[in-house]
Amino acid sequence: MANRERTLDPVTFEVLKNAFVTVVDEMAEQILRTCHSFVIYSRDFSCALCDANGDTVMQGSQDIAVHVGTLHLKAKAVLEDFEGDIHEGDVFAVNDPYRGGTHFPDVSLIRPVFADGEMIALAQANGHWADVGGSVPGSFDVGATDHFGEGVRIPPVRVVDRGDTRNDVIAMIASNSRSPDDIIGDCHAQIEATRVAESELFRLIDKYGKDSVVAAFGEVQDYVERLTRARLAELADGTWETVDYLDFDPGTSEGLVAVHLKLTIDGDEVHYDLSGSDPAIASFLNAGAGTAFSGAIASAKTFLPEIPLNSGFYRAVIVDVGPEGTVVNAGWPVAVTGSVSGAYEKIMNAGFELWSQIMPERAMAGCFNLEYLLVGGRDARTEGRPYFMWYDWMAGGWGGRRGRDGQDCTSPVFGVGLAVQPLEGQERLTPVLTSTHQIMPDSAGPGKHRGGVGVRKGGTLTQVEGAVMSYCCDRARSVTWGIGGGLPSIPHGVWLNPGTDEERFLGANFSGVPVVEGDAFERPSAGGGGLGDPLERDPQAVLADVEDGYVTVRRAALDYGVVVEEIDRDLADYRIDDEATQKLRTEQRTTRAGKLDEDPDAVAERFRAGELDTMDLVRHYGVILDWGAGELLPRTTQQYREMLKRRAAASWTDSSAERGA
Amino acid sequence: MATPSKPVIAVDVGGTFTDVCLLDPDSGQLEVAKVPSTADPIDGVLAGVGQAKVDLAEVGLFSHGTTVATNALITRRLPRAAMVTTRGFRDVTEIGRGTRDDLWDAYKDNAQPYIRRRDRLEVTERVDHRGRVLTELDAGELRDVARILAKREVQTVAVCFINAYANDANERRAAELLAEELPDVRISTSASVLPELFEHERFSTTVANAVLSPLVAGYVEDLAQRLRTEGYRGDLLILHSGGGVMTAEAVQRYAVRLAASGIAAGAVAARHTARAAGYQHAIGLDMGGTSTDISLIHDGELRTTNEWYVEYGHPIVFPSIEVLTIGAGGGSLATIDAAGSLRNGPQSAGSDPGPAAYGKGGADPTNTDANLVLGRLGRRLVGGGMELDHEAAEHAIRTTIADPLGLELHEAASAIIEVANANMANAVRLISLQRGYDPREFALVAFGGAGPLHAAAIAADLGIPTVLVPPRPGAWSALGCLMVDIRHDLSEMFLAAADDADPDVVEAAFTRMEDQGRALLEAEGVASDAVALERSIAMRYLGQWRSMEVAVTEGSGLDDAVAQFHREHEREYSYRRDDAPVELYRLQLTASGPAAELALPESEPDPQAAMPEPTETRPVWFDDRSEPEDTPVYARDDLRPGLAFTGPAIVEQLDTTTLVPPGVDAAVDGTGTIHMTISQQER
Repeated sequence: MANRERTLDPVTFEVLKNAFVTVVDEMAEQILRTCHSFVIYSRDFSCALCDANGDTVMQGSQDIAVHVGTLHLKAKAVLEDFEGDIHEGDVFAVNDPYRGGTHFPDVSLIRPVFADGEMIALAQANGHWADVGGSVPGSFDVGATDHFGEGVRIPPVRVVDRGDTRNDVIAMIASNSRSPDDIIGDCHAQIEATRVAESELFRLIDKYGKDSVVAAFGEVQDYVERLTRARLAELADGTWETVDYLDFDPGTSEGLVAVHLKLTIDGDEVHYDLSGSDPAIASFLNAGAGTAFSGAIASAKTFLPEIPLNSGFYRAVIVDVGPEGTVVNAGWPVAVTGSVSGAYEKIMNAGFELWSQIMPERAMAGCFNLEYLLVGGRDARTEGRPYFMWYDWMAGGWGGRRGRDGQDCTSPVFGVGLAVQPLEGQERLTPVLTSTHQIMPDSAGPGKHRGGVGVRKGGTLTQVEGAVMSYCCDRARSVTWGIGGGLPSIPHGVWLNPGTDEERFLGANFSGVPVVEGDAFERPSAGGGGLGDPLERDPQAVLADVEDGYVTVRRAALDYGVVVEEIDRDLADYRIDDEATQKLRTEQRTTRAGKLDEDPDAVAERFRAGELDTMDLVRHYGVILDWGAGELLPRTTQQYREMLKRRAAASWTDSSAERGA
Repeated sequence: MATPSKPVIAVDVGGTFTDVCLLDPDSGQLEVAKVPSTADPIDGVLAGVGQAKVDLAEVGLFSHGTTVATNALITRRLPRAAMVTTRGFRDVTEIGRGTRDDLWDAYKDNAQPYIRRRDRLEVTERVDHRGRVLTELDAGELRDVARILAKREVQTVAVCFINAYANDANERRAAELLAEELPDVRISTSASVLPELFEHERFSTTVANAVLSPLVAGYVEDLAQRLRTEGYRGDLLILHSGGGVMTAEAVQRYAVRLAASGIAAGAVAARHTARAAGYQHAIGLDMGGTSTDISLIHDGELRTTNEWYVEYGHPIVFPSIEVLTIGAGGGSLATIDAAGSLRNGPQSAGSDPGPAAYGKGGADPTNTDANLVLGRLGRRLVGGGMELDHEAAEHAIRTTIADPLGLELHEAASAIIEVANANMANAVRLISLQRGYDPREFALVAFGGAGPLHAAAIAADLGIPTVLVPPRPGAWSALGCLMVDIRHDLSEMFLAAADDADPDVVEAAFTRMEDQGRALLEAEGVASDAVALERSIAMRYLGQWRSMEVAVTEGSGLDDAVAQFHREHEREYSYRRDDAPVELYRLQLTASGPAAELALPESEPDPQAAMPEPTETRPVWFDDRSEPEDTPVYARDDLRPGLAFTGPAIVEQLDTTTLVPPGVDAAVDGTGTIHMTISQQER
């Protein structure tokens, strides 16, 4: 607990605290209105006001989740490298994921703010640039195993020197990108945003005096710390543990990759311990220590949404990312750009599961995985055949909640502000024609409170040349899970030319797949996992889902044991067969636990024969295949079944549930 | 249109009150009335008219602002509606952009789409981004959809096809076929409602238009009918979100333009007050019981925005007056949070139980309680209103704020007000002043029930030198419905590099929109020589995502427009990129014409005007002073034009109290508006 003397009167304190919120929100507004990267425009950016030690005083209220908890680390990196050599009018750039950054595309511009010749603060604007080099467009190379394939690494460098812009340095960074003009534009937008913060601070200093403003930097952090500790102190002490998984390590044979989380509430503190997680893998889904820290902080913040974020929060939420060399703490030069879809995601969701036990009134099952699909190449529609990047991410389903279903079609937990792009904009800019973008029936994980529904998006390539497709996702095998008896949703993954002889399942993580004009593709975003036993779901809720097409008649019976009859499809009029429903639910209660122990080979065979489908396997049999080849993955299946028994079957109250427990 | 010599009447229906303003241009008489809003808003309208004691047969013009559309959207009391869309894109309005208003609270959901999924049907058709028809509309499928909609007894349909902004042939064909099959059903097509790029925004706006269309049309018809029964023979004008009025006929096509009608009125009234007092730049501060609406006037015009919504996730992309609403009002609650910090709002005591001083069981202190304890509010509201319970207010502040913070009672009350004022000042900063505007050039127009009580302190905080308090602050927003033009906002997408754009093509597009604008206004009775046309171009640096609007005139070249863009960009964002290519994004036209020639009553200020007798003198606490100061209280009606005085003073009237802090100079102008001059030192 901080013991700093409170020197400010309550009014000055409250006024300055709110003024700091205005400062960071003004920076955000400026960036939004002047940025060039569509990734930034879609709100993949963040702004912070840091004190002279680099600790965060205030962070933007609309900031992307994954940047949370990393901004002070980047500020400290600048202070460390330029100690004694920081001047009024300087601006620094840094993206280094091995110094607390997230991944290479997230570049921070940091401006020291001086008053009376003394550095009192750092204003930081962090944005995701569309391309920072590396071997594939968009700088997302799944196949990269070290940083050299990923993009340009920017340790703290000075880009504005006492007011003079160092265009040579900016050009050196921009020259490593496929879209140098956008990078120069974004660099300016972010530099100016930090100036907005500076002039606001000057105004506050004029009015309240430097000493008060500097005192407020500290007191606002103490305030957040007190608030956090007060909330944590209300919770019962205890230790909770779980494991979530990444799909596989390309460097070894099949098998899920564990992210282990132990969470301890001890008085007015909470401790995250990630040690025990598997070693770093041979793909770019590993997280650096900064990103792992961020995942822990973001999961805590999701359950304490009313508390503002700054370094005071990090004093009460204490994170141990474990020894270097693991999937959650990969050191240089291990590839980490995909961490946002990989380890980061798993830390957050593991956190959700444990916090759901600590605060059941805010419980939430697993959420769909962040996914980025990228098609890059030459656009042959126009002369000069310029480079294009069709860079797409989807909304999906969030986990079922206490007393209500999960949120449908929502941006990923990685950042709820990350906006889905308009396809009419995409079609102008790129030779990709979207064929469908709509809710996918049955995509939600069944539960007493089902997950939110996911989305299906497909397209066809028109006039492209030399195009390749890459996908940064996960959870084709470690399928988005339910809790407390709820079931998983559906696997992620991209299908090329679905429904044709050329059909191929490309998986949930691939890079540089050549594609040509006329190729069609489609992929779902998973729904959220269910919460509670789906056989206890109110049949009327199932009926309403059928009427709106969120659930099909067929799966209403298979997943919920509810028998629905169509009366008049024109009127969306259906009804429940009560008797048949009761009978079916009784039957399912006696048979379902046994399915989790059926011979996986036999189940896989029935899948290949068309008797069972993917949803049957991931929800009811716990069997995981290579979804394209239909080949059984035995070790993955074994791990997945253990997971399913723990999260789902153990909570069913059937007579035979002990078998699954 | 209106016959200027007859009286004109404006009625603004808000959530709580219906305000009525009656102006007689001959006698210069301005009457206001305030009645509670009613379940059927038309009852309230007529009650207000009745209270103003006006004979509708004598009225020349009836202008109206209404929340009927806003409320219908929020409460979802909407007619059975359907959407017909391109196969594969049924859920555009449900997926939206995927974002949530509250990023961290996983238990706060977006509002559901206005049309449920079961009522969104698909047909085969497709147009590409250049407007080429890739797949013709399947007429057979469309007729089958029409059959289903008839069976569902749908009253209104939104036709929303992908890329219809580039070519609406398929949409128009679909609308024709639907009209054949469903003659009594209203149809809104996306390209006719909003011919702009980006499917979610266009579809969402079109859907809002479709669901509101039968409702608003019905409302306007009913109102017109009941006004006729009462003897009214003139035109019915309705205030739209953009701050102009439209005729009842235009409302039929653009129902969604009423979605912010109720909010716009106050902003327009603020603009009027600023202009009349000779200020080209002003902030409108309309502070009521639960919230404050802030608007910005620059160069005599209100700022407008295309980025707004009634409910998050369902954008309405018609120009709307930019109004920032924050949860700060007379009833906002002061609390101490878990970490021991003093907070103010956004939670409100509302009207029931209301502030502790209302004596209706409210135990927590509000701004009203603090103002009462400080003596800034009187114990009895003028006009025989309720008696305020001083002891209850004191008790609430003492137990909730003063004791926990170790403050004296009056220090605590003062702290509550200071935090409220600082929150409002921050809101003003965020939406306006920090966009490069210099506060020293602005006036603060304070109205609403609580605005004039807080305005001087907020202005001092912001460095704004002048506060204007109009004569009838409590009902002032109704006036906004009168002081406007009939106005239409038209636009066309025009995506091209400024260097490559053909000026002739741009000119032809503007001419086309001008013809359309003129035709609309002339159909509404505006004389052709009274039509005003204003062109603007939305532009951006190539590669940017947001565009900025630059005013252009006929005959000025694109080069001028580009130069203007660089200048505006520098003013607004403090940098420019002269070497970067500039792109045109959208051409816009505003066509407007006067609804009526109106002027508010004005009398010659009398420099000799004598200070009236105070109605009472009471002790009032001001900031940083340990003792109260005996302060004269005046009745507003006693303050004659030309009067000048120096604070401390309190001015009371029917539903507003104006605070003139110590040392602040106040003067009453010819319209009865109080001007307060705030020195830079004053805080």
